[in-house]
Amino acid sequence: MDVFFQQYFDLDVISDNFEFVLKGFAETLQLAILAGILSLVWGLILALLRAAPGRAFAPVRFLSISYIDAMRGIPLLLVILLISGSLPFLPLPESLRIPQWLGKPDPFWYGVMALTLTYGAYMAEVYRAGLDAVPFGQVEAARSLGMNHSQAMRHVIVPQAVRKVIPPLLNDFIALMKDTSLVGVIALIEVVEAGRTVQAETFNSSALTLGAILFIVVTIPLARIVDRQISRQQVRFQRG
Amino acid sequence: MVRVEGLHKRFGKLEVLRGIDLDVRKGEVVCVIGPSGSGKSTLLRCVNLLEPPEEGRILLEGEEITGAGKGKSDHVRRRIGMVFQQFNLFAHKNAIENVSLAQVRVLGRSADEADAKSRALLERVGLSDKVEEYPERLSGGQQQRVAIARALAMDPHVMLFDEVTSALDPELVKEVLDVMRELADEGMTMIVVTHEMGFAREVADRVVFMDEGVVVEQGPPSDVLSNPREERTSRFLGLVLER
Repeated sequence: MDVFFQQYFDLDVISDNFEFVLKGFAETLQLAILAGILSLVWGLILALLRAAPGRAFAPVRFLSISYIDAMRGIPLLLVILLISGSLPFLPLPESLRIPQWLGKPDPFWYGVMALTLTYGAYMAEVYRAGLDAVPFGQVEAARSLGMNHSQAMRHVIVPQAVRKVIPPLLNDFIALMKDTSLVGVIALIEVVEAGRTVQAETFNSSALTLGAILFIVVTIPLARIVDRQISRQQVRFQRG
Repeated sequence: MVRVEGLHKRFGKLEVLRGIDLDVRKGEVVCVIGPSGSGKSTLLRCVNLLEPPEEGRILLEGEEITGAGKGKSDHVRRRIGMVFQQFNLFAHKNAIENVSLAQVRVLGRSADEADAKSRALLERVGLSDKVEEYPERLSGGQQQRVAIARALAMDPHVMLFDEVTSALDPELVKEVLDVMRELADEGMTMIVVTHEMGFAREVADRVVFMDEGVVVEQGPPSDVLSNPREERTSRFLGLVLER
């Protein structure tokens, strides 16, 4: 029994590598927060392009739908490899080929790009559900007051849609945070890669266990926030 | 003020309006009555350019507004206030924000100016104590009065009312009709689609009876409501007044 316990919860291994794993987790958090914010923005842009009205915007709608479909169908790992393995060899300025912005290494930025491109598509679908859920009467009321399409979107529809989709957006953020571990494959020492390095050196998995605990410390409160938001919305819904 | 000429509107195969002619003078209150599905609401929605008609023209203050370009229809709508059956208050804004939003965003009024105007209008519809309330905390009648204030805030030249009391509990109908009655007394040009025959009789200058997409008859309420010429009108009135 001791052997089992030690494989996952060896306190010596944990304390020896605590700082190393924690540093990895800091990297994970930075990656998740930055890519999360960018995905939120990119997803909203995609959803709005998809909702652009009239015949003139048909090509824009088609492009955004194609993009969303494609990105939802491609594994994130493939996108990460595609970007990190191709960008350095393209005829672009060096700061784009091998980005080192804000003192972060290039794998970090390839990760941000891949996560944003992929999760932007997921979040676009969430926003779309929110936009569809705002009653059409709201659009008509806005238009009847002389607002044009973009004013109605900006002041009336989007604020209500976003409120409705905060819980699923948070869910997507939790998924995004867990998926940052895939960026470890291109040599970014985030928390999983850090744990794996320790595992390879010590033949002990406790550093990975520590990583798992760190994830849970962040994701469980987030999940509770999601639940609370949902139940609050249901109360409002029942009252309304 | 508002002139509708030969208006046709189809939804797919269904022809909802089949050649409507209507003339509304400045300051006139016209009540449009008729069975459901007769095209009354569609007529209002066409006047407000929410539905593009297939045929015919609509003129507002002598100027044709049908077929206007995109930006132009937004401009036209500022002069036309519309109140809906389902109120359609902006759910994420409180009463005063509902009334102020378009004043600031569309007319470019300053926040202070819009605020003062909104307060005055909410007071006028009897809601000075509900200024900060959100729609979900207001009764249907209160929501509808906020919606009227919201439309009036744009200083419209004509007001359209689309069955504005149909979704209300019976005891809340009067407070909304009272506001509309006052508005009519002040000389507002109004086109009112309604099932409130009492209101039509008392407030309308003219009653228009529609059925199956055409105007069957029109005239002063004393004629149309009390001594209808057309058999279809009297049959409808028989059904409505029987209740």
